Amino acid sequence: MKLKYFNFIFLMSVVLMFASCQDEEYSIPAAGTDLQNDCIKRSLGPNVVGLNIEFAYAMALPRDKGKLVSAQVEASIAGGSGTYLENRSFYTNSSGVDVGITVGNPSSTNGTKTEVTFSKDTCASTLRYYYIIPEEARGKSVSFKFSAKDSNGTTVSYDMGPYTVAKMDMKLDMVLSDNNNMYFSVADMAVMNSATAAANPSKVDLVYLYRSYTTVTFLHALVSPANSEYLPGVTLPAGVNNSTPLWKVYGLRDQQLARLQYGIYVDDLDFTQEDFTGAPNYGINMKAESGAWVQTADGVYRAYIFVNKVDNTKKEMTISVKRYKMK
Amino acid sequence: MKKYLLTISAVLLALWAWVGCTDFPVDEDGLLITTRGECYVSNFELLGSDFQTVRTKAAVIDTTAQTINVEVFYGTDLKNLWPQFSLVTDAKLDPKITGRVDFSDLANPKKWTVISGNRKVEKTYTVYLTVQPKP
Repeated sequence: MKLKYFNFIFLMSVVLMFASCQDEEYSIPAAGTDLQNDCIKRSLGPNVVGLNIEFAYAMALPRDKGKLVSAQVEASIAGGSGTYLENRSFYTNSSGVDVGITVGNPSSTNGTKTEVTFSKDTCASTLRYYYIIPEEARGKSVSFKFSAKDSNGTTVSYDMGPYTVAKMDMKLDMVLSDNNNMYFSVADMAVMNSATAAANPSKVDLVYLYRSYTTVTFLHALVSPANSEYLPGVTLPAGVNNSTPLWKVYGLRDQQLARLQYGIYVDDLDFTQEDFTGAPNYGINMKAESGAWVQTADGVYRAYIFVNKVDNTKKEMTISVKRYKMK
Repeated sequence: MKKYLLTISAVLLALWAWVGCTDFPVDEDGLLITTRGECYVSNFELLGSDFQTVRTKAAVIDTTAQTINVEVFYGTDLKNLWPQFSLVTDAKLDPKITGRVDFSDLANPKKWTVISGNRKVEKTYTVYLTVQPKP
């Protein structure tokens, strides 16, 4: 009886050793004999209206089997103005620089389809596709069908997506300046001067000011018009009195706003999950690369304001904003 | 040889049983109750909602008077501060800090009790906050 168990365990051990030690030899994959294609998405982060989604579409067939004739991309929603398929195939040189070789005529876009016709006798090419996200795609999903045709009439295709397009808006590099363009409207995503603020008092959400004191650190500040405590020496236009809840944030360097090396992205979900309960309505001593979550007084919009840079001499602050409509 | 193996095995087994059965007392938080009787705050930090310090200088901790005096920047949002206590080894804090704390009632300073490692000494620290004067 015992011997039977021993034999069983011994056999299992041998099987286990055999399975774990088996050496799988690598073999170079055999090249296909027909036209083939592949595609990758190159751009990262949320798909924001106005920005692009970038792809690299590769197609090839054996040299003796013919040449490439055309490449085409069909988007489920027609791309915005500036959508194009590269007519150059890129390679990376020894210095790490991408060098483009023209292989076809500039792309033509007709509705949802963008096409490049090859002008060079080539059997392998990688073309990049830049899809400018149109307003019509906001909050929807967009997908793509890449296809290539060779001189034999063979066609291959590759489906990409669907990709969700964010609902949020984005605006970059707005300059606020003390005592001049010092008003910011989240609803308009715009900087205003006194005259514009006076004409649209309900739209002014924040006031920018710069104050330098020897005893306290105030410097660059974003303050709600309703908070007179932190608006020293500021006379607001009549009717400008919104109280905008604001959470100061440090270290949230959204890649699309900051355009720095950090792979952090603020997306639609972040706006919906932000809780403004108990939030103050001012933020003083705002530094470069810091930011603030804000919500308009009427609760219609939420925004993330990123401070790209501050200038103590000019008394200026450059901001980039992502904004989400809540209701 | 077999005798030695048996002896070693028996000793190891006894040792394991002894270790396994030794009763290490833990408190209601599942924290180990030790023999340490020291009971004090060694460092104090105060962070704003952006997790940046709001102190103008190091907090003054008086372990005899059991007070912590800290001055914060002008413009600090006192309703949303995150205090951080560094305590002597094995000590714990009561009440626990689980989120932002409202320090805005300056007339009634916040109090926290430090409990020593042996859970026999308790010292209540009062945190006095002052704000940099308005310029």
